[in-house]
Amino acid sequence: MDEAVVRRLVEHVGARPGPVHGRNGKIHLRQRLRGYNRAAHLSPWVVLVDLNHDAECAPPLQLSWLPNPAPYMCFRVAVREVEAWLLSDRDHLARFISIPVAQVPLNPEAVDDPKHTMVELARISRRREIREDMVPRPGSGRMVGPAYTSRLVEFVLGGATGWRPEVAARSSDSLDRCLRCLRRLVKGSK
Amino acid sequence: MRETGSRALRFTSIHLENWRNFALVEVDLQRRVFLVGPNASGKSNFLDVFRFLHDIVSVGGGFQEAVRRRGGVSSLRCLAARRYSDLVVRVGIGGEEDLSAWEYELRFTQDKRQRPVIKKEQVSRQGSELLSRPIDQDQRDPERLTQTYLEQVNVNQDFREVADFFASVRYLHIVPQLVREPDRSVGRRDDPFGGDFLEQLVRTAEKTRNAWLRRIRDALRVAVPQLNELELWRDVRGTPHLRGKYEHWRPQGAWQTEERFSDGTLRLMGLLWASLAGSGPLLLEEPELSLHPDVVRFIPQMFARIQRRSSRQILISTHSTDLLRDDGIGLDEVLLLEPGTEGTSMQPASSYAEIRELLQGGLNLAEAVIPRTRPQRAEQLTLFGD
Repeated sequence: MDEAVVRRLVEHVGARPGPVHGRNGKIHLRQRLRGYNRAAHLSPWVVLVDLNHDAECAPPLQLSWLPNPAPYMCFRVAVREVEAWLLSDRDHLARFISIPVAQVPLNPEAVDDPKHTMVELARISRRREIREDMVPRPGSGRMVGPAYTSRLVEFVLGGATGWRPEVAARSSDSLDRCLRCLRRLVKGSK
Repeated sequence: MRETGSRALRFTSIHLENWRNFALVEVDLQRRVFLVGPNASGKSNFLDVFRFLHDIVSVGGGFQEAVRRRGGVSSLRCLAARRYSDLVVRVGIGGEEDLSAWEYELRFTQDKRQRPVIKKEQVSRQGSELLSRPIDQDQRDPERLTQTYLEQVNVNQDFREVADFFASVRYLHIVPQLVREPDRSVGRRDDPFGGDFLEQLVRTAEKTRNAWLRRIRDALRVAVPQLNELELWRDVRGTPHLRGKYEHWRPQGAWQTEERFSDGTLRLMGLLWASLAGSGPLLLEEPELSLHPDVVRFIPQMFARIQRRSSRQILISTHSTDLLRDDGIGLDEVLLLEPGTEGTSMQPASSYAEIRELLQGGLNLAEAVIPRTRPQRAEQLTLFGD
């Protein structure tokens, strides 16, 4: 899903997404960051890490992971999980999962566990298929339902009724900074 | 269009004794089941139990034929079993509201002429017994014990639903070459190797077909977001093709027929179609074959979405770590096969406290589960290079 979000953001700023690397977790990514950074001397790169519940906060993490970012490197840290960015387009998210908009938290960036929040919102959905896809069955032992990811991907890539990065950025500082960074890259590489 | 919803029956539990690799197995079965184990641990043998039940009730089948096709009692019987032990298959059948609507048990061995003979056949409905053989007549005429009641329409009225349910089991191991060149399997219906896939598309009423293709497209789009349309199309000679339209840098997009689809994509479409085109349990062997890892990791999501609509039970055997990385797979949906000296044992991943801890600590399901399924002496294989 993180991948769908990155693609959507890149397209949003008017660029065309290239190949997607990683997706094997933070440690894996950190080991390869030097390589990505070298490649970012040649073409624009976006690296997205989510902070989850690590003690570090975003700026020091960036400093320790990537002290010398390359000119075309956009290194972004989502504060918790990328779900927080999706929660930030409250109106469309509420419509997508069929719940009253008042149920969506006003300040998603401050939500402690956005993934859990997303699942709990889906639980009160008026549509059975949303509940069945996104909420885990009792006994499954998992955090999310069987088609949770694919539902959110559908939201992210949903066009006119889907997720709107520019709206979400108004209530998510980290997303706002990510978009600005991407715009700089696009401008710089033209 | 069929919206069977929660009414569709499925296997809810299975108990096996002395069946091929399995000395003893007793597990619950969810609507989606992932069988994970090393090569030769018995994944296919496990799926074969359901095909066996299907063969008992199918046309041209029957108990004798079903055993004969599998090489007789002696080749079905677990090597770890004592020589004359009985083979036992007991299944629970139910729906979402009523998990134990039916139970069917068959216990058999072979006689001196190596013919399979029934030691016990039992059917119960909601816990009350409808049939329990051998009955008096069986004792008087042992020949009767060479046939199940299940396969005989004149005696199975009371539990015909069970027979029909077994008959609805379908096995698929699609071979893309057969889909591309259907001549090789002309006239076959319900071909497990996919030879009749395109023909099935043609036979399905247009409205239903289009609705199903839309659902397949929706399911596939998680992995292939560029896929905009999927349709049946006839070339100038009238030959049917499946074709997909991809969003492209050209504004009109580009059409591709099945000849241009990769083997893996074509296979996956066949599997998704099959999961819509029926209501009985579907047995799938390694749906990940010849697919890119980036598509494989979405397979569970695709089936989850298709399945919610069709409510068909799906049992999948897999080797793929990519497939098991999906966060939406329930621990009770994963059955682990671990070979041992007493045959292969089988447990749901949810029964291992350790696996739960590993997941809590941030590992994905594949990382937690796959090391358990490596063959014990896999390190010896490395002698032959890495």
